[in-house]
Formats: sequence, structure tokens, C-alpha cells
Amino acid sequence: MSLEQVAIGSVARVANVSGSDSTSLRLLEMGLTPGVNVRVVGTAPLGGPLELELRGYRLSIRRHEAARVAIAK
Amino acid sequence: MSPPPDGTPAAIVVALVGNPNTGKSTLFSALAGIPTRIGNYPGVTVEEKIGRFTHRGQTIELIDLPGTYSLAPKSPDEQVAVDVLRGRLPGVPTPDCVVVVADATNLERNLYLATQALDLGLPTVIALTLSDVAAQKGITIDVMELGRRLGCPVVRVVAPTRTGIEALGDALLAVMKSPAVPPQGLGTHLAAVEARHEPAAREAIARYAWIEELLTGVVQRQPPARRPLGERIDDLLTHRVWGTLVFAATMLTMFSSIFWLATPLMDGISAGMDAVSGWVEGLLPEGAIRSLVVDGVLAGVGGVVVFVPQIAMLFLFVAILEGCGYLSRAAFLMDRLLCGVGLGGKSFIPLLSSFACAIPGIMAARTIENPRDRLLTILVAPLMSCSARLPVYLLLCGAFVPNIAVGVSWVRLPALVLAGMYAVGVVTAALVALVLSRTIFRGPPQPFVMELPGWRWPRWEVVLERVREAVWSFLQNAGTLIVAVSIVIWAMASYPRSEPAIDAEVATHRTMLTTRLASLPPDDPDRADVAEELASLDTGDGLAVARRGAAQRQSLLGRMGRLVEPLVRPLGWDWRLGCAAIASFPAREVVLGTLAVIYNLGDIDPGEEEGGTALVRRLRAATWDGTNRKVFTLPVALSIMVFFALCAQCASTLVVIGRETNSWLWPVVTFTYMTVLAWLAAFATYQIGTLLLG
Repeated sequence: MSLEQVAIGSVARVANVSGSDSTSLRLLEMGLTPGVNVRVVGTAPLGGPLELELRGYRLSIRRHEAARVAIAK
Repeated sequence: MSPPPDGTPAAIVVALVGNPNTGKSTLFSALAGIPTRIGNYPGVTVEEKIGRFTHRGQTIELIDLPGTYSLAPKSPDEQVAVDVLRGRLPGVPTPDCVVVVADATNLERNLYLATQALDLGLPTVIALTLSDVAAQKGITIDVMELGRRLGCPVVRVVAPTRTGIEALGDALLAVMKSPAVPPQGLGTHLAAVEARHEPAAREAIARYAWIEELLTGVVQRQPPARRPLGERIDDLLTHRVWGTLVFAATMLTMFSSIFWLATPLMDGISAGMDAVSGWVEGLLPEGAIRSLVVDGVLAGVGGVVVFVPQIAMLFLFVAILEGCGYLSRAAFLMDRLLCGVGLGGKSFIPLLSSFACAIPGIMAARTIENPRDRLLTILVAPLMSCSARLPVYLLLCGAFVPNIAVGVSWVRLPALVLAGMYAVGVVTAALVALVLSRTIFRGPPQPFVMELPGWRWPRWEVVLERVREAVWSFLQNAGTLIVAVSIVIWAMASYPRSEPAIDAEVATHRTMLTTRLASLPPDDPDRADVAEELASLDTGDGLAVARRGAAQRQSLLGRMGRLVEPLVRPLGWDWRLGCAAIASFPAREVVLGTLAVIYNLGDIDPGEEEGGTALVRRLRAATWDGTNRKVFTLPVALSIMVFFALCAQCASTLVVIGRETNSWLWPVVTFTYMTVLAWLAAFATYQIGTLLLG
């Protein structure tokens, strides 16, 4: 299961970020590292980006980027 | 740091690094005041800002590095930050010391960059900003313990009130004397990272593990009993329904303000420039010098200064929205829409602003960090129908589009055509962006990983500084070039000039009018116009206007108009329209004045442009040279409007593109592609229009 599928308002724990390109590295640098808790705050209209809350701040990423972030069961 | 020969102590070079939205610029201003140098780093469009100040007799040179989240170079901003810190950028002094700005409300992520900076081994001080906001959120930080664990001084600063600025200076001088020992924490955590993770990911995972360990016991969170106002505003702004409504209202207010509030100021500036021109005209004797000063220099300066209200207004809004963290929210909401055409959410504000004027719009593209998205936005921004196109549309729609109802009585055809012109620009921009992003700008998908800063009250010093900086850089850099271009066009429209040739042309015109009047049947509707024009040649003003028209036709510009005639013929234009199109290169709105002069009307008052009844009558009466065939028909008017909707007839925009992209290639590309598109679209409009309307 990936972060893209997490329901709005719920909290998930990151298991892994797949890929080794600059996008994956950026996601990790912004704090989406394995073990961190992320709350999905909301989404932009028309299937736009997700709004996340982690490490005490809010971050926005697109859906296909969220699909790279695997969630721990 | 080597002492200069004159014996004064050498300046310490300090690099200021930090995440975006941490108050880094405010701290820069609090430390060094107004920067001594602003420009671009060599070869890239990353802003370079250097300031100077003295602390306890020691001169300190402060280099503001671009706001970054990491020192692993992935973007031009990060590359510049790393190159400056390692002293690898020619022309930029190697830093002796680093100040890392860290946001107290969000220490975990801010320490990511801070610990990377510490790993460089340079003497480092951490400036902890936004402690006041953190306190409201119930976050307390043991600054002494944090400093001990990191092995470097940590100083609390509140830049707007200058709290902690002295202490920061003292800490800087202290670390220069006894450099801190870089902390050794990353290594042990790296060894602990599971082997299943990609090698590139291991540093990030280990660094966050280390930061979590560093902050255990240092940061305490005690949620306040009552949620702070900022958070409650944030809840409203991120609400699905209310948030979207607030967004629409904000954008509408911003757009209409740039559009309408700036207009009286711009009119005031125009009137002021007219007064100055009138005054100079009275001082100087008639002749080439006066013409150069009034029609060349002053007209050029006026053309530059008139943009200042719009630039100031837009940057006021952008700085306020940025200051309260709302700019990221706009990008978040609009991302999906712009993604579809190969752009990103951050292109929204620059493109929206370009409906008022492309110049502030292109300057606002600075807020787009991604160089590909930024360039693409800059290239399509001039296609948005700016306010300078509006007079052209209004005149031609009013004069040549039949005022008939379409469907319901209150939907009139001219209004639909006007809306259509705006649509032409938007649709073309979308197509161009789509094509460019799939061809020459093709590459791996650009990530959209953006911090959404919480609601904050904007600091007015920062807001005013942004406005001042934008206006000043426009006046300084673009202004000089725009004036130069205006002078060149003036010279082309004024020379060569031969009085006998002008007299001869006016005489020929008089004979032509007399013959034509004699040949027209008494009930011909054109008779009155021809008679009026003939009579005007006997008045002093009328003769002067006719002579001015003749002079312009004989000038280099007039000759170029005839030279390009084969090119504009397929668009349904005569050579005079071609001439007006060339003369409007400095600015589109010039086309009305040029049309008036070339069709012998004299300069029309810009205030009368919309009404422009005298001009409208003259244009309606204009015929192809030596025939009774009218120049201006509906297909021709549509073809002119479509051409002006898509062409790059705005020297100021091209100059600003050159400055913002730091290259002359992009203005040339913009001019070429827009002119080709404008020609093709005008050609199609005229040919199809002629087929349908006969």
C-alpha cells in the first residue's frame, strides 16, 4: 500500500521510498524517511496534490510522487 | 582571509544558508541592511546578494545563499550554495564562516541542512528564528543543550525587532577565534541503516535518525490550551469549500487591483510625462534636438515609468501572499490544472499577473525554483492578453464588429469577439507549453515537493523591501534598454527627412483628393469625409498633420512598411498597417498613435483612445492606395486583433526576458515564435474570414 491510497485525515507510518533518482532523494530529505508518521491532511481539487503533515510541518506532493512512498501495515 | 595591504583588518566572509520560509531575508536585512551587490551568479539565474556590516570594529561581508533544503546538489540553487560554501565559484569570496538559519517551529527538518553545513567543517553559528511563533505553538527548545550537542553556538534571533542580532555577531567573532569541533553523529547512524535501502537514500535516513536523537530532550511540545490564531486561520484556508472560495476571492481581488487600481496611477504618470514634454517643448527650439528629446528620450522614459505602478502593485500582493505563506497554497490548488499542459502550480501567479502586464508576470516567475518550469512560464507569459492590448481590441471591436445580439439580447457580438481574443491567448499559451514540454523541454518529470508554510502575519519591512527591489531592478536594468530601443524607433520614424519631398507629397495628396471629390456622385457617403479631409489641408493644424504623415511615410520606417508589404498582404493589410506593426515594436499601444499619424490624423490623445471617434472615422474611410477599396473590413480587423493578441510587439517584455533568463537567446526565441504564430493565425483569420463573409 502507498501513501497515495491513505484516506484523508488518517495517519500512516512510512516503510520505504522506492527509486534512487532526485525525486526520491528530495522526498527523503523533506523527512519522509522510514518510520516517520504522516497525516494526510487533504487534497487539492480535481485530483491535485496531497497535503501531508509530518515532523511538525506541512508538505505537498503530487499523487504519482505519493505512490512511491510505501506504507507500513 | 589575508590582510589587505593598507593594514586595516581583513573582512570576514560569512555565508548565510537556510531553508526557504525561515526568515533568512529578514535576518540578512537586520544584519547588513541594504545589500551592496545584487545580481546573478556567473552563468546561472540564481540571485546573488552580498551585504557588508561592521561588528565591534570587524568588517563582515555577508553572502546570502539561495534558500535550500539540502546541500546535495540537485537544483541550480543547491549547486550554487554548495559551490559558494566550498569556494568553487569564481568571483565570489570563499566563506570563512557559516550562519545557518533554522526555523524553531520546525527544527527537525531545518537541522537537516544545518547538520550538512556542519559537516563541511567551517566555523558555524546557528541562528534560531521564529522562536516567538514556536512559543505560541507550545514548542520549547533548550538552546544551550542543543548547542552543546551540535558543538556550535545556537543564538535565538527575532530579526524584525533586532533581538539577538548583537549576540549573533558576538557568536560569529567567537567561533572565528576558536572553531567548533564538528559533531560526529552521522557515521554511527549510517552504519545502522538497513542494507535494503538504496545507497542514495542512506544518508537521508541516517541524518534524520541522528537529528531525532539530537532533539530528544531538547525540544518539548506542550499543545496550548487554545489553538493559536494562525492555526485557526490555516484551518479555514485549507478547508475544501471555504479555502477554495477564499482562494478565488483573493485572486479576483489581486487581478482586478493590478488591472484597475494601477490605471489611475498610470494615467497620472502619463499626464505628468506629457506635462514634462510640453515644458521641454517650450524650452527648446523646434528641430531635430527637440524631436529627439521629446519623441525619443522622454517618450522612452515615459514608456518605462508607466509600468512602475503595475509592478509595484503586483509585488505588493505577491510579497504579502508570500509573507503569510499563501503563495504556496495557490500553487497547491492550481497544480493539477497547469500540470495538464506541462507547467506546474507555481506558474499560476506569474501567468495570472501577465493578464495585467507580462513584465511583472515574468518577474514573478522568480518564485518558481524549478529552472525548466520557470523558463517555460516566462516563454508563454507574453501570450496572456495584457492591458496594453485592450485599447487595440476595444477600438477595432467597437469600429468594425457589428453590434448585434448573439442568442440573447444582452450578449453582443463585439463583447464576444473581445472575450475571444483573451481566449486566443490562453489557448495558444496552453498549446505552446504543451508542445515545448513534450519536445525541447522534454525530460524526467519534475517533482512537485513543496512546503506549505503555516499562516503567518507578513512583516511589512519585508513586503516593502520586495516591492522596492522589484521596482528598482526594473528601472535600473530594463529601463536603460527600453529607452535605447525607443530612440532607435524614433530615429527610424524621423529620418531621412526632405522638406521638398514632403511638400510634393502633400501637393499630390491634395490633387488626388480634389480629383476624387469631383469623381464621386453627389449622394456617395464618402463625399463628406473626402471634403472634410480636403478642407483640413487649408488649416494650419491640418497641414501640419498632413506634413507629419508625409514625413513618416518617407522615413526609414515608412520605407520598411512598403518593404514588408508582400509579407502583410496575405493578412489583408496594406503597407501602412505593416508600418504600424513595425513601429509598435517598443509597445503595442503605440500602434494606435502610429495608425493615426500614418493615416494623417495627428497624434490622438491617449485618453480618447477607447472612444477614438475621429480615428475610427478616418480608419473606416481609409482605402487602398489609388482605389476606392476599403482597407478596414471585418476580416482585416479580426486579422489585426489576432496578430496583436499573439505577437511579441513589446520591447520591454523582451528586455525583461533577457534579464531574467540571463541570456539573449530567449528573447530572440520568444520574438521569433510569437511573430511566426501571430502571422500564421492572422493569415488563417483573414483567409477564413474572407471566405465566410465574402
